[in-house]
Amino acid sequence: MPGSLSSSMGEKMDGQGQLMLVMSNITKRFPGIVANDHVSFALRKGEIHALLGENGAGKTTLMNVLDGIYYPDEGEIVIEGKRVELRSPLDSMKHGIGMIHQHFMLVDSLSVIENVILGLESQGFYIDKKSVAGQIEAIAKKYNFRVDPYAKIWQLSVGEQQRVEIIKTLFKGARILILDEPTSVLTPQESEELFGILREMKSEGKSIIFISHKLNEVMSVSDRVTVLRKGQLVGTVDTSSITERELARMMIGRDVLFRLERKDIEPGREVLKVEDAQAYNDRGIMALNKLSITVHGGEIMGVAGVAGNGQVELAECITGLRHVVSGHVTVEGIDVTNATPCTLASAGVNYIPADRLGVGLVPNLSTVENAMLRKYRQEPMCRGTFIDYGAACTYADGLIEKFDIAVPLRNAPVKVLSGGNMQKLLLAREIEENPRLLIAEHPTRGLDVGATEFVRKTLLDQRDHGVAVLLISEDLDEILMVADRVAVMYEGRIVGIVDAHRVDIAQIGLMMAGAVGAKA
Amino acid sequence: MLRFEKRDKTPVRLRVLVPICSVLLGLLVGSVVMLFARVNPLKVYGAIVKGAFGSAYTFSETLVIAVPLILISVGLCLVYRMKFFNIGAKGQYIIGAICGSYMALFGPATMSRPLLLTLMMVLGTLGGALWAIIPALLKVYWNVNEVIATLLLNYIASYILWYFMYGTWRDPGSHGFPLSKSFALNAQLPRILAAPSRLHIGLFFGLAAAVIVWIIIRKTRFGYEARVLGENERAARYAGINVFKTVIIAAVISGGLAGLAGIAHTSAVLRILQLEINSDYGYTAIIAAWLAGLDPLVAVGVSVLLAALEAGGYQIQIVMRVPFGIVGVIESSILFCLLAGEIVTHYRVVLTRRLSTPLRSAPRIGKKCSGASDERARGAA
Repeated sequence: MPGSLSSSMGEKMDGQGQLMLVMSNITKRFPGIVANDHVSFALRKGEIHALLGENGAGKTTLMNVLDGIYYPDEGEIVIEGKRVELRSPLDSMKHGIGMIHQHFMLVDSLSVIENVILGLESQGFYIDKKSVAGQIEAIAKKYNFRVDPYAKIWQLSVGEQQRVEIIKTLFKGARILILDEPTSVLTPQESEELFGILREMKSEGKSIIFISHKLNEVMSVSDRVTVLRKGQLVGTVDTSSITERELARMMIGRDVLFRLERKDIEPGREVLKVEDAQAYNDRGIMALNKLSITVHGGEIMGVAGVAGNGQVELAECITGLRHVVSGHVTVEGIDVTNATPCTLASAGVNYIPADRLGVGLVPNLSTVENAMLRKYRQEPMCRGTFIDYGAACTYADGLIEKFDIAVPLRNAPVKVLSGGNMQKLLLAREIEENPRLLIAEHPTRGLDVGATEFVRKTLLDQRDHGVAVLLISEDLDEILMVADRVAVMYEGRIVGIVDAHRVDIAQIGLMMAGAVGAKA
Repeated sequence: MLRFEKRDKTPVRLRVLVPICSVLLGLLVGSVVMLFARVNPLKVYGAIVKGAFGSAYTFSETLVIAVPLILISVGLCLVYRMKFFNIGAKGQYIIGAICGSYMALFGPATMSRPLLLTLMMVLGTLGGALWAIIPALLKVYWNVNEVIATLLLNYIASYILWYFMYGTWRDPGSHGFPLSKSFALNAQLPRILAAPSRLHIGLFFGLAAAVIVWIIIRKTRFGYEARVLGENERAARYAGINVFKTVIIAAVISGGLAGLAGIAHTSAVLRILQLEINSDYGYTAIIAAWLAGLDPLVAVGVSVLLAALEAGGYQIQIVMRVPFGIVGVIESSILFCLLAGEIVTHYRVVLTRRLSTPLRSAPRIGKKCSGASDERARGAA
């Protein structure tokens, strides 16, 4: 390394552009794991820099270090040539760093204005809403979008809420924006609009860090990519000089199957039949509007749609977690409308919920106790009133081995597992039940490429074994890759069902937006 | 500068050491207060230890207080694991005492002692259980917050006791005092040791309850269901766990044990029903359950320690002529230190230095970049 230690600190250029931020040799250890192992990262002024890596690669840890949430064990952070100590998000904010988390940090019942000024010390006792509103509108106008400063957050769509988050960080004077998987909640169209805003900000000289799993987005929006794998830096490359396949290889260290092999099998008999189902959502608004859908054995029915159009409620109605107001749900000819979870279990209905830790697993209980959740009433685990925990351990070990789940300690709380391994455990538990109907809700959300591939293969494998699979996903690529037919949901109804092999993506996009209701 | 980082696992060493150090620290804080009150803390602590463990008699008196604490706290360990925050043990204790005493006061005089005592204990248990079912039903049917419901039911229970003591159950020979008749010998739960010790066979109820509840939590389907329900209700519902049944049964066990504590203490120690039946054990037991980390077997030990403080407290009042309030001060400083100690067991405390560390090395971005292109070259090959 040329140059003396201190003089290289003062350098602001790396040859091609002015350096905004340099993180060098960041090391962050957690008990038993090194989340970041001497990771270095440099951000130029006015660039969109993608941060790519599988789950557990250390992307979020690195960004949490930058956002002041974690303090690194080793390493240093230099912003615009000056060494800084970031001990809290407030510190980071003062140095012009703003992070937009995957789960928005907004207060639903407050207005946009109130959210934007939340936590700002510059506001005195009296809040000048008018001037804040003016500033919000000015920011929005600058980046060619609109937002009503007086609207309450809950009235806004997910895309609009994300823009409020962006305004919030800009309002606080952020020059470095970190976006954690910003497109995971957006429609393809909304994603494009977001990219437009990001490019606009880039031309304004702002530096943007874009965390993503999705290679195509990284390719289309970023200038440079930094890839992490297992807590270590793989490298930083110019996006223009690399292909999608090479990036995937950097990310997981081997080649990925982009196309999944699928057997041609004849769909079997009707397994799931939903007729004219109506149900309310948690807010008491009709979420399912006389919805009907049929899924056959040996078929994967993909349900596409923008979040909040009744997909969650559909899954919950079939799995007995939500009351069906009118209409019928039958599984293999048996009426299971509003049946108890036990009846549904014996009918062979299994469920991979979107909210892994909220519905699927019990975070504070161990891997063993989670693995046995569907089986503890049966031999050999159940011994009358008692549970044979020895048998439960054997069963859990079987699942761990069969599905190759990385479990450091099977008696440690399941919440310490990585997202991919939690999902594997959940999938393993449900598939061991030999389902006839499998409902998978966003089964690969937040998973890395390797785990995603595993989940999709497992779903296809189930289909090949004659299981009816209802795949609810916002990831259109996933649905087109895995499903046989695609049902598009809009405002609590199926607006169209198309063949996944002969499909026009633009048409699906329009149906998702409620513009077309054509039957293919 | 101090920073706290969450631990994934707590070493066993810490789990033992931290509570001990916390108690010592609490005693230290208590001493400071005592110095202000111009009493010698060492003498006071000595007197407390002597008052609680000094002789077979004093130790048995400590256990007399520990018995209801054990019975109540082990039941609370179960419901608290289910996240049903029953703070109504006081009320359940009172209702248990009233129901059991009904048999003692108005039962047929000819009934044999074992039968009468069994009936009293069963009625007391049922009474406590009934008092706990009310908030459980409110919870499962209308999602009424059980903290509020159980707390308010404590007051109702107190006033029911007042009603009987000033009303129909008052002994005409009590000169107007709110006291019942003394219990007949047949209605007195047997004591274990010779007089003056008041230690009674309720101790065995408590120990048995601790073991049984431990088995329920760790070994049975019901215990598993209760834990799943406490941690994640939606997952429990999806797994087909009957939320209604689980909540009711757990509430019945917890309330029943509190009721049993009430009637056992009344029948064996007080031998009379009166306004003051030490129902505040219902609150002390909450502390015991939490300090025990909701483990019923540990709760036994914690109950004895809390009982020792209480028993020793009476002693210092008599021997040292210091106000009983001092005991409260000691108790609360120990509690505060134990709670503060929790931070050490759950978090790592890291000492970080300010911006004085010299640079370890210059940024190595360039080098890493070249590493990346190697990677790419290999990828392309």
